[in-house]
Amino acid sequence: MKIRRKLLIAFSIYMILALIPAVFAYRELSTLRKRLKPVEAASDITSSYLELRKNEKTFLLLKDRDTLQLLKKQIGMLKGGLDDIESEVLREIGAVNYASLREAITAYETGTLKLAENFNTEQLTINKLTDLGRRIEKVLDGSELQTFLVLRRHEKNLMIQRDSSSMDVFRQTSALIKSSPEADLAAYRTSAEKLFSLYQDEKQLENEIRNSASIIQTYTESILQGERQDIDALLKISMNLLLASLVIVIVIGALINARLAATIAAPIREIRKFAERVAGGDFSKTLEVKGSQEFISLADALNLMAVKLKDTVSSLELAIQNLHDKQGQLVEAEKLASLGRIAAGVAHEINNPLAIINEKAGLMQDLLAISSDFEQKKSITAQIEGITGSVNRCRTITHRLLGFARRMDITIEPMNLNEAIRETIAFLKTDILTKAARLDLNLAEDLPEIRSDKIQLEQVFLNLIKNAVDAVAAGGEITITTSRKDEGAVQVFISDNGSGIPKDKLNHIFEPFFTTKGRDKGTGLGLFVSHAIVRKLGSRIQVQSEVGKGTTFTLDIPIKPTLSKEMTA
Amino acid sequence: MNKIKVLIVDDEHDFAATLAERLCLRSYDARIVVNACETLSLIDKIKPDVVLLDLNLQGISGIEILMTLKNVSPEVEVILLTGHMDIARSIEGLRLDSFHYIFKPFDIRELTEKIDAVTAKHGRKQGNEHA
Repeated sequence: MKIRRKLLIAFSIYMILALIPAVFAYRELSTLRKRLKPVEAASDITSSYLELRKNEKTFLLLKDRDTLQLLKKQIGMLKGGLDDIESEVLREIGAVNYASLREAITAYETGTLKLAENFNTEQLTINKLTDLGRRIEKVLDGSELQTFLVLRRHEKNLMIQRDSSSMDVFRQTSALIKSSPEADLAAYRTSAEKLFSLYQDEKQLENEIRNSASIIQTYTESILQGERQDIDALLKISMNLLLASLVIVIVIGALINARLAATIAAPIREIRKFAERVAGGDFSKTLEVKGSQEFISLADALNLMAVKLKDTVSSLELAIQNLHDKQGQLVEAEKLASLGRIAAGVAHEINNPLAIINEKAGLMQDLLAISSDFEQKKSITAQIEGITGSVNRCRTITHRLLGFARRMDITIEPMNLNEAIRETIAFLKTDILTKAARLDLNLAEDLPEIRSDKIQLEQVFLNLIKNAVDAVAAGGEITITTSRKDEGAVQVFISDNGSGIPKDKLNHIFEPFFTTKGRDKGTGLGLFVSHAIVRKLGSRIQVQSEVGKGTTFTLDIPIKPTLSKEMTA
Repeated sequence: MNKIKVLIVDDEHDFAATLAERLCLRSYDARIVVNACETLSLIDKIKPDVVLLDLNLQGISGIEILMTLKNVSPEVEVILLTGHMDIARSIEGLRLDSFHYIFKPFDIRELTEKIDAVTAKHGRKQGNEHA
C-alpha cells in the first residue's frame, strides 16, 4: 500500500473518531434543550404556586373581591402550566399522584370559592347582628341595658376571638337578658349563633385550603426537583460520553500514529543500514524492504544503484591495478633507460684510454717482434700479452654495455621465430661442437609469423643457448622447443641437463654483473641484457632450475607486441 | 708501388702517434694531425688515400669535418674511429655514400683489413705485412 493512502486512511479514522464525540455532544445538547422547557414550566408552576399562597394570605386578611379575582387567575395559570407539561409531570410523579394533584388544585379552588361565599355571608350576618344590637340597645334601660352592653362587648370579643369559649361567655350573658323585645333578641341570638357557625366553617375551610396547598406544594416541588434531576443525569451522561470519546480518540489516535510511524521508520532504518553497508564496500546483500509501495520502488532503485556502483568500483579497481602495472613497467623501462645511459657514458669514457693502452701495448709487441733476442724478451712478450688480453676483456664489457644501451631501440617487423632460432644455432655451431653437446630441436612448424625485433630476439637466443652450452658437461644435452601458447602468444623453451643454478642465486641471475661462470668466462651482462630486451618486446622470461639436473628458460612471446611509446623511445 | 697514405685525425696525441707508428711499421704512410683546424689544409696538401677520423675532436666537430671533406674531396675514404656507437649510428642516418667506422679499442688487424678494403676500390693494393 502506498504511504499516501495509509496517511489518508489514518486521517479519515481520526476524522471519524473526532466526529463520534461531536455527534454525541450535539445529540445530548439538543435533548437538554428540549428538557429545559419542562424545567422552566415546572419552575413557572412553582412560582405561580408561591404567588398563589401569598395572595391567599392577602385574601384571608382582606377578604376582598380583587384579591379573589387574582387568586382565581393564578389558579387558572397553575392549571394551564400543568396542562402544558402534563406528559412530563405524568412521567415524573405518576398518574395516581397527578390525579391527586389535580384533585388538590380543584379542592383548593372550591375551598377558596366557598370561603369567599362564607365571607359574604359572614359580612351580612355581622351587619344584621350589629343592627339588631343597636335596635335592642334603644329599647332597653337600667340594669338590662348594662348587661346588654356587656353582651355587645362579648359580641365584639367573639368577632375577634372566634372561639367557643367566647361564644359560651356570649351565650351565658345573653341568657341574662329578659326584658327586651322577644323577636329581636331571638334574631340577635340566632345571628350570633350563625356568625359563630360561619367562623367555625371558615376555620374548617382555611384548613382544607391549607391542606390542598400543602399537597400542591409537595407535588410541584417534586416535579421541579425531578426535572432538575433529569437534567443533571443528562449532563452527567453527556460529560461521561465526551470524556470516553476523548479517551478513545487519544488512545486509538496514538495507536494509529505509532503503527504508521513504525511502517515508515522500519524501511528507513533498513535503507540506512543498507547505505552504511554499501559505504563500507559490502555489496553482498541486496536491500529488501516490506511495506509501502514507495519504499519498495526506492529499494529497487537503491539496489540498481548498488549494482552499478559495484561495477564502477570493480572497473575502477581494475583500472588502478592496470595503472599500477603500467607504472611498474614505466619505472622499469625508465630504470633500464637510465642504466643504459650510465653504461654508455662509462663505456665511452673508458674506451678512449683503453684504445691508448691497446695501441701502446700493440706497439710494444710490434717493436719486440722486429727486435733481436735479448734476455728478458720472452718474459716481456708474455707480460704484454697479459695487457692486451685484459684490454680485450675490457672491450668486451664496454661493447656489451654499449650494446645494451643500443638495444633500447626496437625495430618491429614480421619474422619467423624458428628461422631466428636456426640462424642463432648456426652462429653457435662451433661452441656446440667443441662441447660435443647434443642439440634437440623440437620446432613447431605450424607456428604463426610473429611481429617483433628479430635481431634483438636473436641476441636473447644467443645468450640463452650460449649459457646452456656453458652449463652442460661434455656430451650434455640441450633441447630447444617452440610451440603455440594461446591465441596471442608463442613459447620457446631452452633446456639443458647441466649443473643447474642454486636456489639462492636463481633470484639474482637477471641482475647486471651477476655471473655463476667465474670472472674469466662471464661478464654478468648476458641474462641482464636478455631480460631487458624481453621486457622491451612485451614478452616474459621465466627460469626453472634444479642443481645437478639442469635449467629451463621459458620465453612467452606475443604474436603482436604491445609496446608503449615510452618503451620504444 | 706507392705506400697508402693514411692521415690520422685525433686530438689524443698519444693515441694518434702510437697508431701512426704501428701503421708505419706495417708499411703505410701514416701521418697525424691533432689540431682539427689544420685538418682540411693538410688533407689538401698531402692528399691522403684514407682519413682515420676521431669524432671526439675539440674545437670543431668531427662530423663537420666529415661533411666538408665529403664535399671537397669525395674520393677520399674516411674511416671513423669512435668509442661512441651512438655517433656512428647518427652518421649512418646521414646516408653518406662511402662511410666506414671502427670502434675503439680495436685490433690493428681489424683496422688494416678495413683500410685495405676501402682503398682496393681505387685499385690500390697494399702488400704490407703484418707484425
